[in-house]
Amino acid sequence: MVGASEEVELNRLENQVDNGGGGVWEYLCLVRKLKVRRSDKVLKHGLSILNDSKKRSKLGGEEWTLYEQVAVAAIDCQCLDVAKDCIKALQKQFPESRRVGRLEGMLLEAKGLWADAEKAYSSLLEDNPLDQVIHKRKISMAKAQGNVSAAIEGLNKYLDIYMADHDAWRELAEIYVSLQLYRQAAFCYEELILSQPTVPLHHLAYADVLYTLGGVENLQIAKKYYAATIDLTGGKNTRALYGICLCTIALGQLTKGRNKEDKESSELHSLAATALGKDYKYRAPDKVSLLTATLGNLKLS
Amino acid sequence: MNIGFVIGVFGILILAHATYSTIQYRSYLKILEEEFSSPPFNVVVELILGLVLCLWAALAVPGKFLSIHPDSEENRIVSLPANLDFMIFNHRGRALPTDVNMKLKC
Repeated sequence: MVGASEEVELNRLENQVDNGGGGVWEYLCLVRKLKVRRSDKVLKHGLSILNDSKKRSKLGGEEWTLYEQVAVAAIDCQCLDVAKDCIKALQKQFPESRRVGRLEGMLLEAKGLWADAEKAYSSLLEDNPLDQVIHKRKISMAKAQGNVSAAIEGLNKYLDIYMADHDAWRELAEIYVSLQLYRQAAFCYEELILSQPTVPLHHLAYADVLYTLGGVENLQIAKKYYAATIDLTGGKNTRALYGICLCTIALGQLTKGRNKEDKESSELHSLAATALGKDYKYRAPDKVSLLTATLGNLKLS
Repeated sequence: MNIGFVIGVFGILILAHATYSTIQYRSYLKILEEEFSSPPFNVVVELILGLVLCLWAALAVPGKFLSIHPDSEENRIVSLPANLDFMIFNHRGRALPTDVNMKLKC
């Protein structure tokens, strides 16, 4: 999870590193810890450490972690020569390692040699059939080839065994959303909320899915989850505030005439609107007029 | 931290002094051949003072408190990690030009 203060720290370090101000290793460690995808920067700065034998020897055993990080970043940037060299160095150090074997498989994937990659992963799975990461690689390979239904099938099989893997649940939810299968996606997000109830972004995604599904009942539940997001973020999530406004208006349109509990919902709506206004005034003063116009339009329609 | 530490030392000294005065009081009672019912008033005051000072030191010396609120700056989650186990490589970044000069020298 990326916390607010960690994000600030990451941006500060990134700025510093980009301007040649040192702290490269700290930056790379933070990228690894927060699991953010900054492949181009990791490749550029990680290589600068690896090519400097003095800096590299200072890292001690961490050197190999950096080789792995740079290899993955290079594959992601399609710098296959660099990736190959990194993997070679790792292979020399750890000849029988499955982790290095996985990197080789990923390199094959990046080259588009799907059959070879499949073979490599299968032989790795023969060694250790319970390797979660390789199962995940196989699933993402199906996704990369555009075979989404196979990816869904693989994920479902995987989740039957490893039900506690929330990354996989999130991936499945995102695939379902991309296919507009919102009911299935909602189920995945429910699962995610159960396993990580303090992460506001799962509540938010669930509310988004329910809002998209529509209908009075779903809209009411969506509003509750938007409210939960606001509760968990201290009102600093703009999307949730907009969600409350949109839900209230959609509900008002659906229940026109029989307006029960109208008073309470309009109170919540106006509170969300004022919070939005405050936030805009603080962070983007020139867009306040845009916001008031939008909110006014929503009320009219 | 320094002030807290000094206060803690002071508190422990006061507690030690309270112990010493209680022992002294009891031996005094033994000479008078009276029953011990409760420590004298000034020892009780000393004990309470020592307790307060030691509490202060225990809260101040070990370090800063961390927030437990989910919406505080340290705990507020602003983004989820990229799902790196499921990353795929045939994305649009493939079409962008990359720096060809990058090479691993070793």
